[in-house]
Formats: sequence, C-alpha cells, structure tokens
Amino acid sequence: MKLEKLIPWLAGGLAIVGAAIAVIPPSPVRGFDTDAFGRLPVLEGGRVKPVDSVSRNALLMIRGQQSFKYDPDGDGPQKGRTISSDEWILDVLFRPELADQYPVFVINDPEVLGLMGMRQSSNRYFAFSALVPHLEEIQKQAMAAHQVDAKQRTRFQSAIANLFERVYLYYRLKNTVQLAGSPGLAAEVASAGTPGAQQRHQAIEELAYFRPIPPAAGTTGDNWLNMGQALRGAASGQPGDALSGWARLSVAYMAQDPSSFGRAVADVTAADAAARPDSIDLAGHEIVFNRAQPFYAGMVVYVLAMLALFASWLWKPKILQPAAYGLLVAGAVIHTLGLVSRVLLQGRPPVTNLYSSAVFVGWGAVVLGVILERIYKKGFATAVAAASGFASLIVAHHLSGDGDTMEMMRAVLDSNFWLATHVVTITIGYSGTFLAGAMAIGYTLRKHLVRKPDPGTTKALMGMTYGVICFALFFSFLGTVLGGIWADQSWGRFWGWDPKENGALLIVLWNAIILHARWGGFVRERGIMAMAIFGNVITSLSWFGVNMLGVGLHSYGFMDSAFWALTGFIASQLAIMAFTLLPAQFWKTANAHGKQQEPSPEPGH
Amino acid sequence: MTRIENRPLSALLDVLTSLKLTIVCMAALMVLVVACTLAQVHLGTWGAVNVYMRSWLVWWDVPGTVLSVPVFPGGALAGAVLAVNLIAAQLKRLELSWKKAGLWIVHAGLILLVIGEFVTGMFQQDMQLAFEEGHTANYVEYPRENELAVIDVTDPAWDEVYGIPETLLARADEVQVPGTPITLKVKRFLKNADLAMRTPNDAPAIATAGVGTSIRVAELPPVTTDDRPNATAAFVEPVAGGRSYGTWLVSALLAAPQQFVYEGRTYQLAMRSRRVYLPYSLTLKDFTHDVYPGTEIPKNFSSLVHLNNPAKGESRDVLIYMNQPLRYDGKAFYQASFGKGDTLSILQVVSNPGWLLPYISCVLVTVGLLVHFAITMRRSMRRRAAAAEAHS
Repeated sequence: MKLEKLIPWLAGGLAIVGAAIAVIPPSPVRGFDTDAFGRLPVLEGGRVKPVDSVSRNALLMIRGQQSFKYDPDGDGPQKGRTISSDEWILDVLFRPELADQYPVFVINDPEVLGLMGMRQSSNRYFAFSALVPHLEEIQKQAMAAHQVDAKQRTRFQSAIANLFERVYLYYRLKNTVQLAGSPGLAAEVASAGTPGAQQRHQAIEELAYFRPIPPAAGTTGDNWLNMGQALRGAASGQPGDALSGWARLSVAYMAQDPSSFGRAVADVTAADAAARPDSIDLAGHEIVFNRAQPFYAGMVVYVLAMLALFASWLWKPKILQPAAYGLLVAGAVIHTLGLVSRVLLQGRPPVTNLYSSAVFVGWGAVVLGVILERIYKKGFATAVAAASGFASLIVAHHLSGDGDTMEMMRAVLDSNFWLATHVVTITIGYSGTFLAGAMAIGYTLRKHLVRKPDPGTTKALMGMTYGVICFALFFSFLGTVLGGIWADQSWGRFWGWDPKENGALLIVLWNAIILHARWGGFVRERGIMAMAIFGNVITSLSWFGVNMLGVGLHSYGFMDSAFWALTGFIASQLAIMAFTLLPAQFWKTANAHGKQQEPSPEPGH
Repeated sequence: MTRIENRPLSALLDVLTSLKLTIVCMAALMVLVVACTLAQVHLGTWGAVNVYMRSWLVWWDVPGTVLSVPVFPGGALAGAVLAVNLIAAQLKRLELSWKKAGLWIVHAGLILLVIGEFVTGMFQQDMQLAFEEGHTANYVEYPRENELAVIDVTDPAWDEVYGIPETLLARADEVQVPGTPITLKVKRFLKNADLAMRTPNDAPAIATAGVGTSIRVAELPPVTTDDRPNATAAFVEPVAGGRSYGTWLVSALLAAPQQFVYEGRTYQLAMRSRRVYLPYSLTLKDFTHDVYPGTEIPKNFSSLVHLNNPAKGESRDVLIYMNQPLRYDGKAFYQASFGKGDTLSILQVVSNPGWLLPYISCVLVTVGLLVHFAITMRRSMRRRAAAAEAHS
C-alpha cells in the first residue's frame, strides 16, 4: 500500500530530475569557456539579453535549430561534432572564413534551389560559402518579391524573400563586433583616430546586429552602444573597459588562445557589471532558462504521461495510472516553472504574443486536468490534459521560429495591468474551451474503441465536460468584457466589431448556446459532446483564423504558413464530430448503452 | 370567449419566453458576427458593421435588378429580440427568491450590455483632432464626413464660419447659407473625385472662377475602407444680391481656400472635414514618440496638451498617452496617431453618452456569477454535511 502511494511521486520526481540535468553548464569547447562568453549581456531587439539568447535565436531563424552537427572532413553530418550556438556565433564574429563553411542555411523550396542551379536532395542545409556565387541573384529576386504585399506573394517569392532576410541577418552578425575580413577589433581600436577609420565605424554602426557596450555607470536607460558608436567614442578619447575587453577577446579568439580568451571574457563581464550590475544577473537567469528549455522538456514529459496511461489500460493499471498522473503533475510543474521564468525575465504577465498564448493555453488545460483527475480519479483527465498540453506546446514550438519569443511590446499593448487581466482571462477561456473539446474527443474515441461498458466513467466524463464548459464560459465572457474596457481606455470605444473581438464573442456565444441547449433539454450526451468539439473549431478560428484576415487593430500576429494547418485541424474536428453523432448502434459499447439508458441532463438552471 | 382571445397572446408569450428563442437569437448573432468579420476585408469595419450589426435586416441586392430583399435578421433585431426574451423569461420563469439572486443579477447585467451597444450605435460620435506642435484648435472634425465651409474672414480677429454638410449639397440644388445674404447654387456634387491639371484635350471646365478653371475632375467610386476618406468635390455658384460670383470648384483635395468679396465682406469657400466647434481650446505643446533602442518597435506616444476653457476659468496642462485619455465635457480624447516627423499629433475624439453602461454591466455580471457560485457552494456543502451526518 505504501509503495503504491509512492509511485506518482517517484515517476514525477524522476521526470523533474531528468529535465533538470539540461541546466548543467556545458564543458569548455577546445579549452574555450563558451559558457562564460554566452553569459555576456548585450542589447538586441530592444532589451538586454545574454549572447546565448542572441545566438540561439539567430541560429533558430537561419537553420531552424539551436545547434547543429558539422564534420569538417566532409564525411557527412553523422560523424560530425555538435556545434552549439555559442561556439557558432564566436566563429561568425571572429573567424568568419570558418563560419562561412558551416551548413546553417536551411533551404527547402525547390524553386529557390533551382535558382542556384541545385537539385533537391536529402541535404537541405547549405553553407554561406555555397550561397556566395548566387548572392546577387538572390538579392535581385528578393527585392522583386518585396514589391509584392506579403500576403499576395507566391511560394517562391516568400521563400526567396525569407532566404534573403536570413542571409542579411548572417551578414549583419558577421559585421557586428568587427568588419569581416578586417585585422580585428584591437587593430580598429588602435587606429581609431586615423583617416579612413570613420567610414569603417559608420559601416559597423549600420550593420551591427547587437549592442555589446553598456552605457556609462551612473546613467539610466538602455542606451547600450554598438561597436561603431563605441569606436567613435574611442577616437576622441580613451577606449572604455568594455571596448578594450572585447578587443582582447577578439585577439584571443582569432589567435585561438583559450587562456587569454578566458581572461578577456572575465574583463568584459567585470566592465559590464560595473556599468549595469543587474544585467549580469538577468543574463545569467535567462541562460538557465535557455538551457532548460522547459517547454520542450514539458512536451516530452506529457508524452511519457500519455504513454504510461495508454499502457495502464492494457497492463497493471494500479501502478501505471498513478505513475501517469505523477508524470502529468511533473509536466505541469516544469511547464509552470517555464512560465514563471518567462514572467520574471520579461517583467510582463505570461501572455504577450501568439507564442506565449499557445504556451499558456496548454498550461491552463493541464492545470484544469490535474484538478479534474484529483476529483474523478478515472485516468481519463490525465490522458486528455497530457494530450492538450503536448498539442499546445507543439503549436508554440512552431510559432517560435521567428526568433526571440520575448520581443518588446508595442506601445498600444504596453500595459501590464490589461495584459494581466484581459489577455490572461481570455486565454484561460481558450484553455477551457479546448479542454472541453478534448474531453469530448476522448469520449468519442472511448465509445468507438472500448467494448466494456462503463456508465460510471461516462457519467464522470459528462460531469467534467459540463463543468469545464461553465468554466470556459465564465472566463471567456469576463475576458471579452475586460477587453472591451481596455479598448474603451485606449481607443475610445468599448466594442468595435474588430475581428479579434468578434472571435472572442463567438466563443462566448457558442459556450452559452451549449449550456442553454443543455438546460432546455434540446441536446443530450452525444449532442453536447459534438457541440464541445465544435468549440475547438470556433476557438481555433478566433485564435489563429482572424490573424489570417489581416484586418483590424489586432492583426499583429499574422502568419502565412499556418493556414493549411488550421484548415486540416478544422476538417479533423468536423470528422470526429460525425463519429460522435453516429447513433448508438455503431458504438462498440452498443449493447449495454442503448438510447433509453442515455443519462438525461439535469433540468433547468 | 376570453380563453380563445387569450390563446394567441399566451402562445406569443410562450415563444417570447422560450429557451429555444434564446438559442436561435444567439445562433443568429453568431452567423452575423462571422459574416461581419469576413465582410470587413472588402467593406471595411464600419461598412460591415452597418450592413450586419447595426441594421434590423440584412439586405441582399438581387443581381441584375434594382430589387433588394431581406435575407436575414440584422444584428439590431437579433439583439433586441434577445433582450426582450431575456427580460420576459426572467419575469416568467425565474422565481423571485434569494436562491436565484445571482442569476437575476447576471441577466440584468447582460440586458444592460445589449442596451449599451444600442446606445452606442445610436449616439456615439467619432471625431478627430489633428494638430501640430504649437498650434491651437478649438474644434474637432468628423473624419468620414465633409462639409462646405463658407467663412467670413473680414474681421482679422474673428472668423465667422457657416458649415454646409455634404448630405445637403448632395440632394439640394440651392442652399441658402444661414446668417448670410448668400445663396449657393449646387451645379454638381461628387462624393469622391480625383483632381488633375487640365490638358488642352479636356472638355471645357465647369468652373468659371478660382483654381477650378485649370483642373480636370474625374469621379471615383465612394471609398469603402476605413483608412481612406472620400475626396468630396462640388461645383457651386454663390449668388448674392442678384449677382453671380462665378462657378467654383471646391474639393477636399484643394488645400488653399478660395475667396470672393461681397459688399466689403470677404468670404472663403473650402471643402473640408465636418467640424464641430468647442467652447474651449486645446494647444499641442509637445508630442513625443520613443522606440525601443535598436528597433523600430514603438515604445510610447504621448501628447502634452494645454487645455484652456475661459468660461470655466480652467487653464491647465494635460498629458494624453496610450490607455490614458482625457475625458472632458462629455468627450474623450485619445492618442490615436502621429505624423510629420513627430510634430503632428492625431487625437481620436469620442462622445458616447452610454460609455459607462458596459462598466456597470461588467460589474453586475461578475458579482452575479460570484453570488450564484457562493449560493451553489453553500448548498452543496450543506448537502455534504447532511450526508456525512446520515452516514455517521
């Protein structure tokens, strides 16, 4: 008995320990302390972040991954060594001739490949050096594509414009600290006042991707300097500590001298700490968050929870069902830690953009599922919650390809109070609607797959779905009205029939219709379940569909490639609804669950 | 006899209070909301809202004919029926008891929300105020409406303005400018028109005076999207004291006003956005706009405005920024846009007598739901306690 009580704790604890291993700092690469380098704070995209975040996001944008395998002898990537984003950015900054050989540009579009005279093959990754002969053509085609409105572009035009943006990002990175192909930053500092230096400073200032030099101590604000500005300052006076530190760092890495590199990184860190003490802590925290990848870890744990639960239906349910619950809770803990870190790092409520809304929708569904499982203890809520958490984190993962997921807030959205109230409540409403839909899908699968009738579970499922719909109606209504009040505060009207507002209203109306139809006795078990699944369709349209319309004040979250994914999702939901509505004789449990036995809903309010 | 007479009435009452009607209305609203959202791509927000939400019926123009047939209830009808249904059902079904107090409050809040949207639809005025740094404005403009302003500028210290709304120009042949001896003959009115310099091949100009004599006017279809206003134009002939002062072209695209003199008084003609004058004035002292360092993402906008109301002896500075409007004298001024290298600020000006209703409604619904939740909780806890007692 005692052992059984320990099972969920054991399973959950193991999962959390497994996720925590990722946080351990990596060992030095060829003797270079890339970890310390990755911790250096810089300003990019309007906020201070560690170099590690810049390198991860840049590599994510260019290659679609945060690290890659490379084998200089050309024996294929299988034999190569894994190159982390920190090592990659060091080479991009200081040894561009080497970095140009790394296969970091992912190109999938056959027409873009054809433009460069290449055939589509299993190798989708290309080095910058392979693109160099075609740069002029890429730029020409991309400029032509840029004349066309982003929504009207053909597949080729989107792909070539995207490739050019990535090439340009790479080119900017190469010229951020020193001009690629120049003798280096130290030489630049030494010759700061000489003729011709000014043009080079100007070039760096225009191209620099991030700003590594902190503002002077004792000042306020985020006026970090790029290398060009810092060099111009050095031309008229003494180079600051940070600039000289970076110069020594450049010399050491170019000369491949690990020990002086380590000292130079320590000098830059000290200079940054003197000027902006909190930037060091902030960067340190963010690097832990980057390494932990809590949402990726959470995704894995949710899959494990699902697998454990599926297995429990076949074998040793007494052990596996609690284990699955333990894993679900562990996933929820990791997910929560990830959300909390984002909130602390960004100084913002959890939902600030489409990416974070996906993370939060999943979190809400999982937490609700954990509570429901504690009440009903049927294992069913575990499966549905783990599946919802996994699905939403997958969606979030696909939304993160645009780079930094902690981008700055546009002025119109810059209000922590309203982000915390309206955005969070409405997103909880999405969570509830999706969870109800997921439960209804689970109900349908059960009816069609499980032979053994189990009226107790069916009743519990009905109760859960009904409760979750009530919950969803409350939060989506409250969130919608709060949104109206925010709109009244900032745009002068409570309700403007903006597409996003309309989407929220649709969710409220649909949930209200489900509940009223149930109270009136117009629909029963199957009807309510089918309506709950249709809630998925409405919520997905309101969440992503309206962004594709491209009109209105809310259309800041536009994405072009998600259209087909959304269409596929809606088609799948409609298909499942058809199965839900099939009469009882088609069910596996048909014999025991005749129509007359279908529990009638509770009457009235 | 009486029973027979009552039957249709009670049948109507049954329909009005039925839950089915509630669901039908909500479903109709869903259809309308979807249609309205999709239509915004072509009609613009205001166009779509007027067709689907602020109308009693949705009309469909039968192609190839001038016929227009109603095909669906409009948002106003669905909303009104829903409100009546809510009230009727409330009175008939929900008994007046403490047990139902929460639901009473919730439904009262919902009814108020629907009423609020009706009040907004009927009474809300959307205006705009665009001014540059250092400039003072004592008026606000309707960005989607134009007027022909006849301005007596004889007194250098004071302009006397007579505004003729475009709707009047569109339907009248002759307009007597109130308060002046001038009558305007409307030769032609164009809701939206583009202007270009005349070439020798063009047909003779309608205008006989002013800059219009050298301009070619091409009629355009009226604008339906939200972001562009109509460039309304008209040819008018001022007549005073039995004498014609020529035919003038007035257009929203002509910046410089044109003028003529009658009996020592100078009158200007200008087609411009319809203005409403305020009993107070606003001066833009400073407009600021920051971006996050190293990005193009706007961090904030704000307008430092001096408010001067001599009648009330008020003279003070106000800072208007995102989410911080100035509410004054029944109007609310919001930071909406900017231009001209951060020296021009555009404020959105809204007057809506019902602006408070959604706030009250929101509070009512939230309180109602909490009350209902508390009552239900207490009941289920009592039940559990009773069950536990019976068990022991």
